[in-house]
Amino acid sequence: MASIQGSQIKKVVVACEAGMGSSVLLTSQLKKRLGGYGISVGHSPVNQIPDDADVVLCHQGLSSRARDQAGDTPVLAFNAYLGDPVFDRLEEAVKNDDTVEG
Amino acid sequence: MTTPSKAESAPDLLTADQVRLGVVAADRDDAIDQAGRLLVEAGAIEEPYIAAMHEREAVMSSYMGEGFALPHGTDESRRYVRRAAVAFLQFAEPVEWEHGEDAHAALAVAATSDEHIGVLASLAQVLSDEESAERLRTTTDVDVVLTLLAPAVEEDE
Repeated sequence: MASIQGSQIKKVVVACEAGMGSSVLLTSQLKKRLGGYGISVGHSPVNQIPDDADVVLCHQGLSSRARDQAGDTPVLAFNAYLGDPVFDRLEEAVKNDDTVEG
Repeated sequence: MTTPSKAESAPDLLTADQVRLGVVAADRDDAIDQAGRLLVEAGAIEEPYIAAMHEREAVMSSYMGEGFALPHGTDESRRYVRRAAVAFLQFAEPVEWEHGEDAHAALAVAATSDEHIGVLASLAQVLSDEESAERLRTTTDVDVVLTLLAPAVEEDE
């Protein structure tokens, strides 16, 4: 399991299948939540996760593929695009400099 | 292929022709077919993109929450996209999109790169506001849809 401190997170990537729909919408929502902490949020196909990602977010259904690609970058899986508790936990970790594991 | 500069105005992704309210859809597959047809009629996609929309849906449901689904093709099927566009379908009766989750509306997406981010950012805003979400699910006025989904301006890109 990979981990990172909340204060070290500079770039969050939403990994997805096609990068056309839900991940784009989620990216837009997370920019609003995390942008204020100086964190950039982008999205990418699951097989092209950029090397400089600090945390990868993806739907549960893609998480094993994302983990294969992400190396030592934590991968946080969610079940719902709207209001999944994982987004709150990530924001809390950034705010409180907690350890993010995934 | 050259990309037009940001200063040039992009063609509208969503026009009144691509909005259908009170649509009768038998099930999810029918809803996706109808949304795909609208995009074909708009000249946005070629026929095989519709099959890719079904394919993508089979891999993972595009249900987003709040009664909205966001069907779109696969990464590979981008080659069938002639121009970026979206189509909005609001259903007369909710359509079961995944087990236990009913869609009251679907926004079908055809994109080549990131041209449609503004529209999805607007949808994200709508979904985070209960009142707007209810309006989008129930309105009988196409202009309300066009206004609610008018592209939002992204601050940093």
